Amino acid sequence: MISSLILIIVGFSGGLAVGCGFVAFLAVLGIIPRLAQLTKTYGYIRAYEWSIVASAVIGSWLSLRNTSFHLSHVLLIPIGLGAGVFVGMLAAALTEVLNVLPILAKRIGIHEQILLLLMAIVLGKVFGSLFHWSFFVDK
Amino acid sequence: MESGTITIYIRLRHKISGVLHETLTLDRLAQVIAPEKIKSHIDKMVIHQIKQEDNSYVVIDAMDIIRRIYQHYPNSDIQTVGPSQTIVVVSTKPKKARLILFALVWILLFIGAGLTIMNFHEDVAMQEVHQKIYTMVTGKVDFKPLILQIPYSIGIGIGMILFFNHIFKKRFNEEPSPLEVEMFNYEQDLDRYIAFHEKEKNEVGNHRD
Repeated sequence: MISSLILIIVGFSGGLAVGCGFVAFLAVLGIIPRLAQLTKTYGYIRAYEWSIVASAVIGSWLSLRNTSFHLSHVLLIPIGLGAGVFVGMLAAALTEVLNVLPILAKRIGIHEQILLLLMAIVLGKVFGSLFHWSFFVDK
Repeated sequence: MESGTITIYIRLRHKISGVLHETLTLDRLAQVIAPEKIKSHIDKMVIHQIKQEDNSYVVIDAMDIIRRIYQHYPNSDIQTVGPSQTIVVVSTKPKKARLILFALVWILLFIGAGLTIMNFHEDVAMQEVHQKIYTMVTGKVDFKPLILQIPYSIGIGIGMILFFNHIFKKRFNEEPSPLEVEMFNYEQDLDRYIAFHEKEKNEVGNHRD
């Protein structure tokens, strides 16, 4: 009895800490404001918060319980695309890209083609990821 | 106002680009407002000639310009508006070398970006997560759930472009993208540094003369 109580407290504290960390991470990267800015839906930012909270709770429950739905394969395509867009925004928001590009563009004196440099990074990520899943994981 | 005094307003440009041995006249460096009869003379005053020793940046201070105008018009009242120095960027590199550099940087970024995403996937055990999602949805087991992973990879590209808002810029809004803001900030920092340090160097040089 006492051990289950301790487990409940430990699990709850762990979840609390991870949840706080997750939100802090998202807040630092600023993806949600960026999406709201792109779509001009600042008014719904509260709803976006709830979307994230709901998804985090449902997602962790499903993954911890190893639930499976026996649905069609096709459903995986939109899921994968959505996950990819989100990770892509994460990767773009990380300071590495934002800090490196201006310096590089300045160093080699090309301001106008910064879009091309950006495409190098974008294509590099896409092909790196494709390579990873199709060849690298076979090792 | 005293009848003999003329008022000249000068607004230095923030930054201009020049080439080696170019003679910089005042109208290249600044916008000038002055009485009509002397304006063309002031505009064509030579402030600086770009020399080999100048390297890639020359900083022209407002004081240098005022001094030069005073030599010709001792009884003028000179008002400066805006930045107190102009940065002249001397471009010397031939175009072809730049193109090769650009190609090298492009390849570097391409490979580097690919490597970082692979590192990230390994770091967070993305493969396992994908396998788990696959099992969660379909109830089957697949070591390489490519039906999930190929859209995922394409999505990464879409997400990055969305974040930088380059392609949809015209359609969505005219707000600057985070990259443009970052680029602007970086250049401002650089200009402030150059303005401060090149000026210091010039002053040391002048005292030695």
